[in-house]
Amino acid sequence: MKVEPVIEVENLEVKRGASTVVSEASFKIASGEYVGIVGPNGGGKTTLVEAVLGLLPKTKGTVKIFGRPIEDFDQWERIAYVPQHATNFDELFPLTVRELVAQGRIGRAKMGRKLRREDWEKVTEAMEFLEISHLAGKRIGKLSGGQKQRAFIARAIAREPEILVLDEPVAGVDPSVQEKFYKLLSDLNLKKGTTIISVSHDLSVVFCRMSRVICVNQRTYSCEVNEGTDPEKVLRQVYGEHFHFVFHRHECRGVFGNE
Amino acid sequence: MSDFSSLASLFSYQFFQFAILGGILAGSACAMTGVFIVLKKQSMLGDGLAHASFGGIALGLFLGLFPLLTALLVSILTVLAISYMRRQGIAPSDASIAVFLALGFATGLVLISLSGGFSVDLFSYLFGSILTINTTDLMMIVLLGLSIILFVLVFYKEIVVLCFDENFAKLSGIPVTAFNLVFDVLVAITIVISIKIVGVILVSALIVIPALSALQLDLSFRRTMIVSVAIAAVSVFTGIITSAVFGVATSGMIVFTAGAIFVIAAVYKKLE
Repeated sequence: MKVEPVIEVENLEVKRGASTVVSEASFKIASGEYVGIVGPNGGGKTTLVEAVLGLLPKTKGTVKIFGRPIEDFDQWERIAYVPQHATNFDELFPLTVRELVAQGRIGRAKMGRKLRREDWEKVTEAMEFLEISHLAGKRIGKLSGGQKQRAFIARAIAREPEILVLDEPVAGVDPSVQEKFYKLLSDLNLKKGTTIISVSHDLSVVFCRMSRVICVNQRTYSCEVNEGTDPEKVLRQVYGEHFHFVFHRHECRGVFGNE
Repeated sequence: MSDFSSLASLFSYQFFQFAILGGILAGSACAMTGVFIVLKKQSMLGDGLAHASFGGIALGLFLGLFPLLTALLVSILTVLAISYMRRQGIAPSDASIAVFLALGFATGLVLISLSGGFSVDLFSYLFGSILTINTTDLMMIVLLGLSIILFVLVFYKEIVVLCFDENFAKLSGIPVTAFNLVFDVLVAITIVISIKIVGVILVSALIVIPALSALQLDLSFRRTMIVSVAIAAVSVFTGIITSAVFGVATSGMIVFTAGAIFVIAAVYKKLE
């Protein structure tokens, strides 16, 4: 059965000022895929993601989400985004964890209307899923790095998105929490069928867990990840000939099925 | 004012009732918008708009029009200009505010000198004159103040997310540019309806101090907003009463009360 693409990017170009950050980017992402976006610093990963979501203007090309051009897209309840540095907010901001997670339902609630009981039930579910229910009444500025991260993911999943986009979701989070977090993403992908797009610096995580990798260094390169994939060969295209990829196979979970 | 009975008798006077009602309503609007302004790090916006509206007041007095109406027009045009300069990358917010603060005040000074110098009327707008609120002033405060409060209550969840994370607001389908513009206009209106209460010079205190005091208490957003409004209402009420008791400037006493509450809140936070 043919799976319809949920995101289609064709010949995308994005400029920041006079410099071109992303050019000739073309790829499709199908429903239920778990896609990693990797690339060197300044290679345009965040720019690519923000342009695809319509947060940055594009200078060329087309972006379609669920078959609709991004310019006309209005079904935002189907998408959630956890940006890079999401947790770097003003710690004085008086939001509790529950209030933050409830923001995730705004895309589904009517403008100017209060959240309904079912919205609050989803908020509770999202907090339970992320194991932060005990922090519901706590101010987000008082949470640890890992707790903040989970609160922001909970805000995203409270929306019940069909596409979840995460930019460097575990930056600054300790390894034990990272492990739980990636397990959670796999669960969302496998159990709820959520399409996940995750920008990451951690190449082994991307090649171990995700079904496809989009490499960005101004241009984009896309490859499937399976037993026959040679990460080094793929990544040399993006990072250059001097790149050497050390692959810790024992760390792998997910797509190679050795969990 | 020497004894309690004569103080209590003040409440039977219409001018005193107008002062209490208008003051609490305008103070509540200031405190509500103030929480968002402080969190958006635009605390100087109130000061800039108040000084710019001084130009509008002078224009009204010069042309023989209702000064608060001309102040309202100037204040709205100013906030739109500041917003335009920020969006177009012409100047950052703080620099634009500084420019319009100076330009507005300078316009006021030129118009005053053209019309023969400062009048009692002008002083009442500069330093506030809550006890001289008339029926027209009160109607304007009630109408605009209630509109502001209603807007904030209806679009509360949208404004909070917009204030906290603009990109997330966009991805929630909120028309961010339109909302920011409407909110900026509401701030301009809030400033103008509060000018009679504490005056051009002190109006930003009514916006910033109650909000900042409530933010010291580590409450949820909803409670922060409620406490901010309560602090503003208590400050206005206490300021009016104490000014009557001691025979001193009401606007000064309102701001002093708010300042005292802020000190208590800050000390409480430090000791917690």
